[in-house]
Amino acid sequence: AADPAVISPQDPTLLIGSSLVATCTVSPDFPLKAEDLYWTLNGRRLPAASYAALGPSTLSVALARLNGSRQQSGDNLVCHSRDGGILAGSCLYVGLPPEKPVNITCWSKNMKDLTCKWAPGTEGETFLHTNYTLKYKRRWYGQDNTCQEYHTAGTYSCHIPKDLALFTPYEIWVEASNRLGVAVSDVVMLDILDVVTTDPPSDVHVSRVGDLEDQLSVRWSSPPALKDFLFQAKYQIQYRVEDSSEWKVVDDVGNQTSCRLAGLRPGTVYFVQVRCNPFSIYGSKKAGIWSDWSNPTAASTPRSERVAGGCDPKGGEQNTTLRRELKQFFGWVKKHAYGCSNLGIKLYDQWRVWLQKSHKTRNQV
Amino acid sequence: MAAADSPSTALRRRDLCSRGIRLAGKMRADVVDLLDAYVEQQGLDASASVAAVEGLPLAAVERWDEQTGAQRLLENLAAYRAFRALLAQMLEEQREQLGEADAGLGHALAAVLLQVSAFAYHLEELLRLESRGVPSEEGDGPPPLPHLSLFEQKLRGLGVLRELAQWAVRSVRDLRQLAKPNPAAGTAPSLAES
Repeated sequence: AADPAVISPQDPTLLIGSSLVATCTVSPDFPLKAEDLYWTLNGRRLPAASYAALGPSTLSVALARLNGSRQQSGDNLVCHSRDGGILAGSCLYVGLPPEKPVNITCWSKNMKDLTCKWAPGTEGETFLHTNYTLKYKRRWYGQDNTCQEYHTAGTYSCHIPKDLALFTPYEIWVEASNRLGVAVSDVVMLDILDVVTTDPPSDVHVSRVGDLEDQLSVRWSSPPALKDFLFQAKYQIQYRVEDSSEWKVVDDVGNQTSCRLAGLRPGTVYFVQVRCNPFSIYGSKKAGIWSDWSNPTAASTPRSERVAGGCDPKGGEQNTTLRRELKQFFGWVKKHAYGCSNLGIKLYDQWRVWLQKSHKTRNQV
Repeated sequence: MAAADSPSTALRRRDLCSRGIRLAGKMRADVVDLLDAYVEQQGLDASASVAAVEGLPLAAVERWDEQTGAQRLLENLAAYRAFRALLAQMLEEQREQLGEADAGLGHALAAVLLQVSAFAYHLEELLRLESRGVPSEEGDGPPPLPHLSLFEQKLRGLGVLRELAQWAVRSVRDLRQLAKPNPAAGTAPSLAES
């Protein structure tokens, strides 16, 4: 069966701000005239003032200063019969050509693969479906290769899982294309060895240091994947109190696999994470890329117990009592041992005896 | 009157029908969600009238209650095989137009396609149970779908998903009919009678 009507142009692509005149021509097999027709754009009826009858069965519509398409599948420009029936439709693709992709950054997990991410260019929104293709080649020779696994580390990312050579620079770039054009990023050059990262440290354990209230001990294992490579690792620790979002970073851990955190609050739960940066791969002194942080490990610092309502002074309280006694003692010395320069423990003991006697006398009274 | 089924056949039929009813129910729920996402992505009015789509099986049927069990199964099977081809075509068009950009809709389409395939297989199992030959799929595959403009593809997709939702409702009812025990014989009816 013949289509009831035909719209021209069919599925055009236009720059934002363009104008368009579209026509709807009814098939001769259908008894409809131009005055029986109307237009909608994305379901909204277009004003009759924008129509013009170009013939007995052809109605045009003028669209000025088009905005970017509402959906990437195209705006629906539809020619209707008077009763609302759909006679024909055309998808308008209104947008912008792509911008040059920027900020390409790449990293290799354990020197086995390469993942790159990029940003879509300063404006970003093209209103059209824009395809991004990451390409790479060995710098001095080799053919262009195309990355296949997209969106592995966010929308604008791609993962190259294998067949990468070490000790040779690669050229990497991203091509963006849509219905309105193509844009190519700057070329990034890198050697896989310079962008190596690794898994986070494993087996992170956080434990108390005896009864010390302000310390925790952190131990971990180096990532196993890089054991085969001649590399060292440096580590960083970050920790925070349970109910805080502020992390404190310990930067000078070096290449040890244990560390003691000090200056902590007693009786407090801490979350601790560790991350790793491989360096000196095959003797190079270049640092790699920090791994992700390990999953948080929690531990709490001890708090010494105080028995409520207890009569005997304990720990700190004994110190406070002693200090108070000593203050009283020196006051007494000032009063009763005038000119005495040798304050020995015997004198203190005699004062203690005197103190006890005076307490007894007071109680008897 | 056809001979009564053996108890094991009746039990197996009831089991297959129950599972089929659950499959069809889940499929309908997913198709309804897919339809919502589809109209939004395509900028369509969900109630837009769609011209007849070539090769689209219509769920509407007259004198439904007079159908035999065999007719129900065969019509269902033909329908879901057709939907399998139509959905595969929709998926292909989606990928051509939008690549992987709209992975959500693509995934949802693929998931429904999988359910349709599974349901078609389930119907084949029911037909085999009744010792009915499973009709072979015609030729080397479904006839090539006509080339459509982009707007026509959008409308066709709307029509396909709407009709699939209707078929899922009908399939539940068809299977409930099939699963009904035969009041006269005390067992499930044969396909000639149901």
